[in-house]
Amino acid sequence: MATISVNGTKREVQSPSDTPLLYVLRNELDVMSPQFGCGLAQCGACSVLVDGKEIRACLTPVSSVAGKEVTTIEGLPARWAKQKNLSAGEAAKTLHPVQEAWIEQQTPLCGFCQNGMMIKATELLEKTAAPNDAEIKAAFTTSGPSAHLCRCGSYYAIVEAVKYASALMTKGGAK
Amino acid sequence: MKKAADLNMDIYGAELSRRGFLKTGGTLAVGFSMIGAGVAKAAVAKNTLDASLPQSFVEIHADNTVTIRTGKCDFGQSSVYTAYRQIVADELDMPFEAIQTVVYGDTDRTPDGGGTFDLLGRGVPNLRKVAAYTRQAILELASPALGVGKDRLLTKDGTVSGGGKSVTYGELLKGQDLKLSIPVTGRLTDMFGLVVNGNPPLKQAANYNVVGKSFKNNVIPSKVKAEEMWVTNVKLPGMLHARMVHPKTLGSKLISAGTVDKVKFPNTKVVVKGNLVGVVAPTEWEAIQAARQVEAGTKWSDWKGLPGHENLFRYLRQDADWKSATVSRSPKSAGNTAAALAAAPKKLSATYEMPYMKHAPIGPTMALADVQADGTVMVHTHNQNPQALRGQLALMLGISEEKVVVRTYSGPGHYGRSNGGNAGAEDEAVLLSKELGRPVRVQWMRGEDFQWSTQSAAGYSDVKIGLDANGKISAYEVDHYMPAMQDDRPIGAVLAGLPTMPAPSDKGERLNNTINGNSDLWVYDGILNLEERAHGTWQVGQRESPIAVGLRDHSMRTPGQFQQNFPREVALSEAASMAGADPIQFRIDHAKEERLKHILDRLRSESGWETRPAPRAKTASAATLRGQGVSVMLRTGSYWACACQIAITPASGEIKVEKLTMVVDPGIVINPLQLKRQVEGGSMMGISQALYEEVTFDESSVTTRDWRTYPILKMAEIPEIKVVMVNRPEVGTYGQGSEAANALAAPAIAAAFFDATGKTPRRLPLRPAFVKELLKA
Repeated sequence: MATISVNGTKREVQSPSDTPLLYVLRNELDVMSPQFGCGLAQCGACSVLVDGKEIRACLTPVSSVAGKEVTTIEGLPARWAKQKNLSAGEAAKTLHPVQEAWIEQQTPLCGFCQNGMMIKATELLEKTAAPNDAEIKAAFTTSGPSAHLCRCGSYYAIVEAVKYASALMTKGGAK
Repeated sequence: MKKAADLNMDIYGAELSRRGFLKTGGTLAVGFSMIGAGVAKAAVAKNTLDASLPQSFVEIHADNTVTIRTGKCDFGQSSVYTAYRQIVADELDMPFEAIQTVVYGDTDRTPDGGGTFDLLGRGVPNLRKVAAYTRQAILELASPALGVGKDRLLTKDGTVSGGGKSVTYGELLKGQDLKLSIPVTGRLTDMFGLVVNGNPPLKQAANYNVVGKSFKNNVIPSKVKAEEMWVTNVKLPGMLHARMVHPKTLGSKLISAGTVDKVKFPNTKVVVKGNLVGVVAPTEWEAIQAARQVEAGTKWSDWKGLPGHENLFRYLRQDADWKSATVSRSPKSAGNTAAALAAAPKKLSATYEMPYMKHAPIGPTMALADVQADGTVMVHTHNQNPQALRGQLALMLGISEEKVVVRTYSGPGHYGRSNGGNAGAEDEAVLLSKELGRPVRVQWMRGEDFQWSTQSAAGYSDVKIGLDANGKISAYEVDHYMPAMQDDRPIGAVLAGLPTMPAPSDKGERLNNTINGNSDLWVYDGILNLEERAHGTWQVGQRESPIAVGLRDHSMRTPGQFQQNFPREVALSEAASMAGADPIQFRIDHAKEERLKHILDRLRSESGWETRPAPRAKTASAATLRGQGVSVMLRTGSYWACACQIAITPASGEIKVEKLTMVVDPGIVINPLQLKRQVEGGSMMGISQALYEEVTFDESSVTTRDWRTYPILKMAEIPEIKVVMVNRPEVGTYGQGSEAANALAAPAIAAAFFDATGKTPRRLPLRPAFVKELLKA
């Protein structure tokens, strides 16, 4: 049995220790944003942040993240609120700038891959506040275990959304 | 307020009646009555479409809000959330925001069915007519209420006014329970569903207030905030997880199913039905591991009956039966191509080949079924034609359609795969749930989705072009060859040996025959001698497979037309070169339709096009070769033109599309923002299809199994993209943005390759090995 921290909350896990984190999050902890795309770490639909770094939950045994901080889309608003020291009241009404940008830019088509896309965008923007086109494309193509794949072809909208999110973060959020 | 005393009115063939009075609220619900007794029986089965049930198309509530319901689904193009709301709002003279709820794709709470294609109905989707009938009913109700003749009433922003008085729609309906029955025809559970009939007065495009504006897609926030109920997120009490063990090949029969180690997997069950093997466990991880163990111990017969992808086109040309299916001749075929070709001083004769491609959703198919004790079959899925699925499941189980309910959720877009009713896992989930008496969630793994799903049919085309002494095309002749592209049999039912619709055959009906149609609408009306023929055959391996499977096909985004447009457009570019003409001007010179000429002209000015013949003058031993290419298409009332500028690195064989410009004239542009995103996405899929996508297979199986063996476009490979929308209200109808865009890139890239190198790629995909081979030739 492992104890993991998910979106700031300690969770006791009953699943066997070799269970991939993806199934633990979705089936045991009801954290539903990471999706099963390939089970091979080839697409990025299952991505989550572990201590700020993107990993593929489909092939990561839950035991390997014991004691670490897992962040999913559900936890992005609180992550941003903490980084900006927002009051609880403000935090409750605040989305992460990446989420604001994804809505403003109307980025998702079917949207099934966008969980991983937003995770990758968050990882990128926490390290590189104002990435250029080449840095954005490299982040989504070569920085992880595989490129982040989108069947609907939303890549251009993602590039635009990352830039929009970057601008929002620079000025301190959507408000 | 005065109320209409007796309500039983005829409104352009629709019937308005009062079901009663209400103490609170009030509604006008728009359901339907069937035309023709024969179809009525079939269609009314489950949805006894009294509009008191929540299956009405449109409901206006006392608070002036509206709910719309449609059998068409959303697979990421947003039309049901944006275009449909805009069309209905305009036709009702209500603000966009009044339409607060969109219900789609649930067989027990949406009225019409039909596959999710042609969403805009060539200008008149069902909901547009429904809304037009509804507005007339509002006027009929308002006239006595305001004491003003109907012809002196105006509607605006959900309010009727006239004679100095006004009333909101909601106020008119207050306390009333009204029903408007509109005429429909069709069959609810087939590919096309119900179609709204009659001719209520429609709003003229010049009067649109809501159509034409960039409204946002209201489902995006829930997806971005992790609040969306994806199909993958649906959980039911007592739900079990299943993984399938599918046959070893596309023609294998089960000899014996493997077993599970009861110590390691104490709660796992193996279910066997004919050649279908399912492994079911309380947890997903146990199901996955146990299925691996069962798979290792399961014995299948061997089978070899496919030609192998390297021999596909030789097989299709030499061995396939093209005689048993009627040859289709396009309606525009005219003149005498044989004589004109014989007389032509210059001729092109070429064959173009299109590989099998996969719909390749980012997540493999998944469905959750709950076969309940009373025999009700509930299925939760992501599907583009839930009513047809309902019919298929009833057929498989030998039960009434009334017993089957399909609920549709957001899911990974699969671009046409389920337009005939099944995405893959639904029937398997139903069979396992029925067997175990518990809800069962079937999730295919990545490899299974490549192996056991349908695919976009391969095909080849022989093109002959004759050029006259002036360099104009005097004759165009094409023979398109493609196996049946529509196999709607649920695969689990096939493997289990249960009833399904017949496999495609020479005896099949409209949707399961082997006839190939002419799908690429002809646009070069300046060419006087035209002969377009389409030849069909059986699916490859279907008759050879002891389980009647082989390579099953299904329509995929721009179906058939994708396969036929590539040959035509690449051949046109080749002919332009033979004529020494610029490829855009050459197309304009052979067109008559002004809309086509206009978009080509816009393409020339918007894309940075260099007006000159191809190929360009060769640069000696350049490390990078550059070229430009063009393509055009007419699909469902929309004209499309695309230019690609590409760079080729001969040393590596890599192609980079540097810029893609797409000009689209859909008639009326409903929502510029959403159309732009649709076109961008479609264009990226098109580049992906052109450069990378091909289903490989050996003599037994599909060998494409993951994203390494079926590569698709990655972000680093996207070009600069420019989308130009030509809004033409005078056309009066709206075309589509969700199809066609994916088909334009391939012929434009191939033409650009020719421009850069003088060598024409006549097949796809343009992967590095093929590029190097072409450059060597």
